[in-house]
Amino acid sequence: MAKPVRRRLRKLLPWAIGLFAGGIVLALAIAYSGIFNIAASAGHPVLLEWLLTLGKERSVIVNSKPVDVPDLDIAGLVPLGAAHFQGGCATCHRTPGQKLNPVYGQMLPSPPDLKVHAPMWTRKQLFWMVRHGIQFTGMPAWSGDGRDDEVWAVVAFLEALPSMNTVDYLKYASGNSKDIIAAQAGEVASQGRPKINITACSRCHDTDNAPPTSPYVPSLGGQNKAYLKRTLHEYHSDLRQSGFMELIAVELDSEHINNLADYYASLKPSVSKPAQNVSSEGAMLAVHGDLSHKIPACLSCHGANKRPDYPRLAGQSEQYIKQQLLVLQRGIRAKTPYGAIMTTIAKRLTEQQMGAAAAFFASQSPTERTEHKTGEGLRQ
Amino acid sequence: MKWVWMIFCVMALLIIAGCDGRQSAFTALGPVSSRITLLTWIMFIGAAFITLLICALIVISIAGPADWRHKLTSEKSIVWGGMVFPVVTLTALLIYGFLVLKAGGTLSQAENPVHISVIGEQWWWRVIYRHDDGHTTESANELRIPTGRPIEIELSTADVIHSFWIPAYAGKVDMVPGRTNILHFIADKPGTVTGQCAEYCGGAHALMSFYTVAMTPSDYDAWLAKERMDAKPALAHEGEQVFLSSGCAGCHTVRGIPADGKIGPNLTHVGSRLSLGAGILPNTKEGFAKWISQHKTVKPENLMPPFDIFSESELQALSSYLDSLE
Repeated sequence: MAKPVRRRLRKLLPWAIGLFAGGIVLALAIAYSGIFNIAASAGHPVLLEWLLTLGKERSVIVNSKPVDVPDLDIAGLVPLGAAHFQGGCATCHRTPGQKLNPVYGQMLPSPPDLKVHAPMWTRKQLFWMVRHGIQFTGMPAWSGDGRDDEVWAVVAFLEALPSMNTVDYLKYASGNSKDIIAAQAGEVASQGRPKINITACSRCHDTDNAPPTSPYVPSLGGQNKAYLKRTLHEYHSDLRQSGFMELIAVELDSEHINNLADYYASLKPSVSKPAQNVSSEGAMLAVHGDLSHKIPACLSCHGANKRPDYPRLAGQSEQYIKQQLLVLQRGIRAKTPYGAIMTTIAKRLTEQQMGAAAAFFASQSPTERTEHKTGEGLRQ
Repeated sequence: MKWVWMIFCVMALLIIAGCDGRQSAFTALGPVSSRITLLTWIMFIGAAFITLLICALIVISIAGPADWRHKLTSEKSIVWGGMVFPVVTLTALLIYGFLVLKAGGTLSQAENPVHISVIGEQWWWRVIYRHDDGHTTESANELRIPTGRPIEIELSTADVIHSFWIPAYAGKVDMVPGRTNILHFIADKPGTVTGQCAEYCGGAHALMSFYTVAMTPSDYDAWLAKERMDAKPALAHEGEQVFLSSGCAGCHTVRGIPADGKIGPNLTHVGSRLSLGAGILPNTKEGFAKWISQHKTVKPENLMPPFDIFSESELQALSSYLDSLE
């Protein structure tokens, strides 16, 4: 029984090889001849459009299946996602109340209005598209390697976007930065129409009278100058990963960085309300460490009178510190020598310990920290 | 042919290295290790004789005269040569072995022993000297002992199984989690030998070594009194400042300054030790600089975080400071 079947298959084999080779030759011939018109202005034939859309949608649906959706703190993440959307996405995707820039409108496919399109996708699918980008559409992948936590902030914003009006959007996107005032004709003629600039730090960060717009954003007022300078340089040269900060830092030169570090170092720390649930575990970890797991006391580096290129943590939000510890634990910050030190230690922490240490620093007053004595945290 | 020579040279080097008495099981410098060495020689020579005897019997059984071969197959030679001889020899050796094992044990009743605790850690040694007044002094990666006095070492581990072995003084004793093993020995004369972890304990096991310095009792007492003191105030404060502000104190203790981390080796008198990194780098200013800046390549997998953040002047200041902790 098996023999005749195999013989017949063997007879078909040369035909199959011939067809396959012919197909390759035909494809090469079409590509080389240039008869296929790739002009964006030409659009896609209806059938091709249907096929490409089908392929794109199925690819997003299938590839996004393994994505694990974390619990999203929507209220905390939306301002952060909105500020990034303004700087990184709005150019192509337009903002509420604004018409699509005709230059980007001529892309093929034309970037969708996300107010309409975002609700068509699930949370997983939105994450997958923002994180990985989409080939042949101009949609880029996330620029902060491994920073999935940041992508989720954009996803949270995209879910909130359809219900936002222009006023809501501008409030979130401009954060603590100055209101956009309708300018006089002369000013417009010489300086252009004022708009929210991507390098306006206070879109997210604190000012002298307002805390950061989101608990996932660090407070910079009173931070060590050397640390601020180092960090901006690390973002600028793609050593520290962040899809939010890299595109801003790349616009800054050394002089900007120096001036900004000076500015924030001398800025009065914004007063935020201290965290409520401070466990004794957090204080123990900060002051004494955890000998059995080889975790040194947090304050041996992050206390008073330490290196100015180490960050001060007192008064930072619990969410921000914990998120950075998780990022460190995953080895995402190990590219910088400073990050490599903390990566070693973060890998020894449990998630509970991270939360406890973060809560401890969040409960510390940022203004009193200069009064700590050397080694205060070390004596047992 | 080149590689044959290479292999030859490496082998020769290895053998020559074995002749260095500092870490040789054949160089016994105390009564406990002397007995072990004697047992070793008896075993070696006896085994050599028995091997020769067996070879001779095999030759005879194959090519010997017919009457010799016939005699070999007799019941008498099988009973005496195959049963009585091994039983008697092995029993004698067993009893002798037990006696040698007990040799250290008899020292446990000795008066006025020196009490030291050694705790194996991945991948270094925590050494705690127990004073007669009940106080303790912690040190690391080096053992100092007086000659002529019985030494009692409590061996334990902070993590996995290690094995404590100073070939010149005693046999190896395992450091087992949840247990404390006691090792006794005596050093006959002053000198410096090396010890080594003798049980695979993870990545840097081969680089977990230490020096043991036997000193005359008066030298030892003087050394211990000095070891017990706090570190002298630093002459140049720059290095001490780098040490304190960079977080070194989170893991390392230097008595006398606000540095009492217990995770890593105690550095109070690190400058006076013979080696750095548990017996792997010379204790010099350059050695400190090399350890701080390159310890991840010098001793791969060691648990200290990499500190590639220091400027050249900070590194020099920190190295000078540590080197000055004598």
